[in-house]
Amino acid sequence: MSALLEVRGLAKRFASRAGREPSPWIIQNLSFSVNEGEFLTIIGPSGGGKTTLLNMIAQIDCASDGEIRFQSQIAPVNDLKALKPGLDCKIGYVTQEDNLLPWRTCIDNVLFPLQVQGKLNDETKARAQNLIRAVGLAGWENHYPHELSGGMRKRTSLIRTLVYDPPVILMDEPFGALDAQTRLQLQDDLLRLWNLGRKTIVFVTHDIAEAIALGDRAIVLTRQPSQVAGEHRITIPRPRDIRGIMTHPEFVDLYQRIRAQVQ
Amino acid sequence: MADTALTFDESAARNRRIIIRVGQIALAVGLIWIWKIGSQTAGELFFADPFKVWDRLIAITLSGELWMHTYETLRISFVGFVLGCFFGVLLPFVLRRMPRLTDAIEPYIMASVGVPKYALIPLFILWFGIQDAPKLWLIGLLVFYPVFIAIFAGIRGVDGRLINMARIAGASEARINREVIWYALLPFFFSGLKIALPRAVSAAIIGEFLVGNKGIGYYIEHSRQQMDVTGAFTGIVVAIALVLIVNSALTYIDKRLNAWRPTDRHMAV
Amino acid sequence: MATLNSTGGPGVGVLEGNALLGWLYSRRDQILVLLILIAGWHGLSLLLGTYWIGTPWGVAVRLYNGLLNGEIIRHSSYTLAEALAGFAIGGIPAAVLPFLLRRLPIVTAILDPFMVGGYGSPKLALAPLFILWFGIGLESKIALVAFTVFFIVYFSTLSGIRALDTKLVQMAQVMGASEAKVARYIIFPGAVPHIFTGFRIAMPYSIGGAVVAEIISANRGLGYLIQLRSMNFDTTGVFVALVAVCVVVFLSNLVVNVVERRLLRWRPPSDVTAQKE
Repeated sequence: MSALLEVRGLAKRFASRAGREPSPWIIQNLSFSVNEGEFLTIIGPSGGGKTTLLNMIAQIDCASDGEIRFQSQIAPVNDLKALKPGLDCKIGYVTQEDNLLPWRTCIDNVLFPLQVQGKLNDETKARAQNLIRAVGLAGWENHYPHELSGGMRKRTSLIRTLVYDPPVILMDEPFGALDAQTRLQLQDDLLRLWNLGRKTIVFVTHDIAEAIALGDRAIVLTRQPSQVAGEHRITIPRPRDIRGIMTHPEFVDLYQRIRAQVQ
Repeated sequence: MADTALTFDESAARNRRIIIRVGQIALAVGLIWIWKIGSQTAGELFFADPFKVWDRLIAITLSGELWMHTYETLRISFVGFVLGCFFGVLLPFVLRRMPRLTDAIEPYIMASVGVPKYALIPLFILWFGIQDAPKLWLIGLLVFYPVFIAIFAGIRGVDGRLINMARIAGASEARINREVIWYALLPFFFSGLKIALPRAVSAAIIGEFLVGNKGIGYYIEHSRQQMDVTGAFTGIVVAIALVLIVNSALTYIDKRLNAWRPTDRHMAV
Repeated sequence: MATLNSTGGPGVGVLEGNALLGWLYSRRDQILVLLILIAGWHGLSLLLGTYWIGTPWGVAVRLYNGLLNGEIIRHSSYTLAEALAGFAIGGIPAAVLPFLLRRLPIVTAILDPFMVGGYGSPKLALAPLFILWFGIGLESKIALVAFTVFFIVYFSTLSGIRALDTKLVQMAQVMGASEAKVARYIIFPGAVPHIFTGFRIAMPYSIGGAVVAEIISANRGLGYLIQLRSMNFDTTGVFVALVAVCVVVFLSNLVVNVVERRLLRWRPPSDVTAQKE
């Protein structure tokens, strides 16, 4: 079975002014693949181009070289004008900042993609309500983003992407800015929700423990120019206990192996 | 390689600039052309012929009339401006020492901002006569408010953090006044100035509509009353040019003075 | 800018109990200043004679009568109508234009110096021109106000569109929004606070502009009243008209603020994108 998402020899550097030296490669010769239903975590140092990578997969930025294949079809990454952000809603993207629309209430934000895609009906509205309840935001639907805490806004941003059910979801350090307690809670929520639908998730983080706790497979990226330094299969069985994961016998071994690869 | 397509294209940017320049010149020429057509169709009672306006402009420049009126307008703007600035800077410093008085009179000052100062011109004419005085009052008031508010906000902003820091570092009161407050106030003062100076000139012109027998405003209104449409247009062209020159000069000085400050291009108007 | 900050002293028993008295007590400094101002006004009037300055009471009585016989209302509504019509005619195209130009940055760049010139030029100085063209009635005032308001609202709206967070646009695009949907759901709501700032700044200018134009040449309206009564050395009457102008300015600002607050309930309290004048 061929992979759902394939990245081959991807390379990226920003445009340089004519007459000046070309700017350094941010990503070079990056290749990996993601299978359907897989939870892939990508670990890398901050500033290593992880966000750029996700931007390219999500089609909001173009590549300097290489190709990206989605469902065995080549995605138009090389030409700025040919980009199709979100690839017709097949790729969802949970960004680092919550990017909620400040003028909409929590539930209106969650319903936003449905509204844009013309899929707003009773069934989808009910789905939104279920998601709101599932992440513990019940009762806060009619509040504006500035009235919600950071964790609540993150949760809203998360279910906003889940609500329209894209086959692949990209996540860019979504829990990075939260306190440890909230982070554990949200990791738990995420795995629970993922279990219900078994979507394909590509999750970027700089936190090794998080990568091990959440993923089926972890990929380590080098510093700029980023390449794949190594791949690790996470053999810890599911369902996983987020809070107790560190005591699992295989955890320490995995952690040390990954730690050695991350410079 | 796809990379070359992304290299920043200098020549494309240059082409863009050329297109914009050409577009602007074309638009300007187009507007003058419409002006000319307008004067022919609507009749010269409504729309002066642009070429006649140009001729008139040359004529009054040569005869010295232009200079006389411009000087008059600028003279009165300047005097009113100085008066307004003086009180606008003085008052906040005086009030700084008397917080209770400041709180007491503040609502009235804010309320007085809501009074359209131009509406007071007839009253000023009534009270102060038909010479310079009513215009000076008008200009003075229009300059006073932005300068006062700017300096006031500046002082409030400065008080506290920087002053405490300076005190801790051992600065004397006089030194604090001179260096910390003055330098901190400069950008505020300047922002007030940028509003106040063009306003002063505008106010002078509008004041001259209603009182006096010299100045660009007088020239415009007098021409209108005599149905000298060409003259009215000429005066307006001079008035617009004058204010725009003042604006540009201020913007230029501002850029030079504040070159070191990171600008937020979204705030630039 | 400073806010009202009077401290109430430690409450005296009877004052604590009554909310109104408590409020008055906390504002006692300001009330004292008010009384001094009124007393000073009255004193000045006695000193110089009502020829030069009417008494406070005289102004109040005249105002009351003016309201009763409808004269003040009539002229106020005339001025207000000019201001509002000009506001709409100038403000609405000015708010719409930047959206239309959004995809044509070259056109915006071409227009820019003309817009800046228009914004910077002394718009009220063109009053005689409008009076020449449109005559002594309503239309010249409306034209002047429209001209003034246009540039203010244009620049506010433009800065609102430019200040837009591109990440929000990208987010919407990833979710499948077309260009039109992005404009409708992201750009327009994002620019609304700035449009309202433009409205808020332009409102007093529209009333002020109408009044000034009336002072120069009119046969109705508050500016006309001011000018007429000044000519007749009727200072009390002038004061009455001025009070009416202030009230109109105050009420219109109030309406704009109320509408703005309702429309922008979603704004976090510390949002600094809206600039105060």
